Amino acid sequence: MAIILANITAIYRRELQSYFRSPLAYAIAGAFWLLAGFFFCAILLGSEGLIQQAAMRDAQGQQMGVPVPPFDLVGEFLRIFLGTMGSLSLFILPILSMGLYAEERKRGTLELLATSPVTNWAVAVGKLLAVLTFYVTLIAPLLLYEAIAFSGASPAVAPGLPIAAHLGLVLLAASVLSLGMFVSSLTASTILAAVMTFALVLFLWIMDLVASAIGGPVGEALGHLSLLQHYDSFVNGVVETKSLVLFGSYIFAGIFLTAQSIETFRFQRS
Amino acid sequence: MTIEVDQLTKVYGSATAIEEVTFAVETGEILGFLGPNGAGKTTTMRIVTGYLPATRGTARVAGFDVHEQSMAVRQRIGYLPETPPLYPEMTVAGFLQFVARLKGVPAGDRADRVRHAMARCGLADRAGTAIHKLSKGYRQRVGIAQAIVHDPPAIVLDEPTVGLDPRQIIEVRKLIESLAGDHTIVLSTHILPEVSMTCSRVAIINRGRIVATNTPENLTAELVAGVGYEVEVMADEAELLAWDAIAPTPTPTPDPAPSETVPAPDPESTESKDSDSDQESQESEPESESEPESDTPEAIAAPSNPSNLVKLSDRGAALVEQLGAIAGVASVALLQPELSHRGERPDLRRLRLRIASQPGQEPGRAIAASILGSGLGLCELRRQRASLEDVFLQLTTTEPTDHNN
Repeated sequence: MAIILANITAIYRRELQSYFRSPLAYAIAGAFWLLAGFFFCAILLGSEGLIQQAAMRDAQGQQMGVPVPPFDLVGEFLRIFLGTMGSLSLFILPILSMGLYAEERKRGTLELLATSPVTNWAVAVGKLLAVLTFYVTLIAPLLLYEAIAFSGASPAVAPGLPIAAHLGLVLLAASVLSLGMFVSSLTASTILAAVMTFALVLFLWIMDLVASAIGGPVGEALGHLSLLQHYDSFVNGVVETKSLVLFGSYIFAGIFLTAQSIETFRFQRS
Repeated sequence: MTIEVDQLTKVYGSATAIEEVTFAVETGEILGFLGPNGAGKTTTMRIVTGYLPATRGTARVAGFDVHEQSMAVRQRIGYLPETPPLYPEMTVAGFLQFVARLKGVPAGDRADRVRHAMARCGLADRAGTAIHKLSKGYRQRVGIAQAIVHDPPAIVLDEPTVGLDPRQIIEVRKLIESLAGDHTIVLSTHILPEVSMTCSRVAIINRGRIVATNTPENLTAELVAGVGYEVEVMADEAELLAWDAIAPTPTPTPDPAPSETVPAPDPESTESKDSDSDQESQESEPESESEPESDTPEAIAAPSNPSNLVKLSDRGAALVEQLGAIAGVASVALLQPELSHRGERPDLRRLRLRIASQPGQEPGRAIAASILGSGLGLCELRRQRASLEDVFLQLTTTEPTDHNN
């Protein structure tokens, strides 16, 4: 057991170190922070933003003398902002996961991993944890902004809501990265992996539309697989077991399929 | 820590990469694995290290089966693949530490082992350099270092000296020799002189099948006409050679032994009576007491400049018979004289012969005595040992006769 943990840690450390030395990682981080910051400002602070809307409602209410219904600004903000972040992540995450195995194959280092006393799934878990850690560092500044913004809210924000919302974001990212890792393990080309992952994730994202189009029991079953639906419930502050199970299943499926595909396709004749 | 490979077969769809490969390496031995490109060396090594599954057959490292007990095998093996598995962005020390962790080196020993591996491979001054900045030679050294960092009992090296300059090759060779004894090593290479110097045994593979497994000395002795001599003899007045200016002889048999001129079938060759008698006078089989080996060269090599063929004169033929009669001589063959670039006619009083000796015999002294005793001058007597390269070429250029076709 200790050996397995040590192996996972070794892979994790190496993978994380390589992010700090990779120009691609810095570029993605820069682009993500730029866009996230822009959306944050636009949604909250902009001329059409939520604060402005709340102010206008107040003003209207005062004009008409009607008591203004409470405006859950924080909730609204989290819904809109994290919805946008979710969509943005759908583009970013395949790029993060594309290199996980494809690069190893290309560089020939898969041969090192495959001839070392470390199991396939330990390698997969280590890599997934590393890329997830990198994603968490990507959203860390956002948490900071939100903490600053919410500290000015009255009544004070219930801490459960932002926590649940961001937990949903992290779980969504973990699922997408896990599936992306599986796709990456199938090929030696990073671009192909990124494109295929994006297509897969898009399909899962709009699954509820697909499900309603198909209809019947199959449609219902498919509907349950939809990422969007479960993500939305998290963002609304609702933490349901079925959502946790779904995300957990995606994560586990990704790791399991990765281990199997490495076992089968360890060596591809080029 | 023995490595045993038994009837290993690997089939990709309809193409057979290796078939019924069998060999064994004892503890502390170095086995050299030779073969042309595409023969199946890398495939065999990949199977032995557990990277590829075999279609049939078994491989064992230290008694553990590579398919059933893969983890146990991986702990005991150090592997350098054809392309060293390096992470370009890592530093040398960082990479070796990662490999040490991966291979299960205990935390307390890691720093020592990494230092030790770097010192042995001459990487101590590049410990902090990123791998993508290193030259090919240094990268190869890092590759070797990662194979030995966890001190494995069995080491498999796939072309460890490819791309290295001669000095680095010597260093790697010394390193490998220093590792033998405690470690069991299998290495594949194209550099044949190195194999005869470092390896205790050699396995030659061609088109997926092992064609020979033996020590380098036995291989050269058994398969090629072992030791031979090149002799240059001079007469004061008699002419040992005569002109044969008619069209050249076609070369009937390929000559695997080293000789001055390369056999080249001449497109415009026609048979002539003189050419036939040329052949006959150079063979001395009926006179000698030897039993010619099946692969002994007997025909002459075709000259590069066909219009200046020489043949033995009567005096020359008598000398050839005399030499052929010496005990220990297998055959005597005439070597066409080298032509000067100005196209001068060669001196007909000088004669060059190639004398093949029987295996285990060294009749050099008797040859010299015979030449001097007949009143001729001995200008050069050079012993030639068939090299591993000849064995290699001979074994890998013949068509496999039995199963494949």
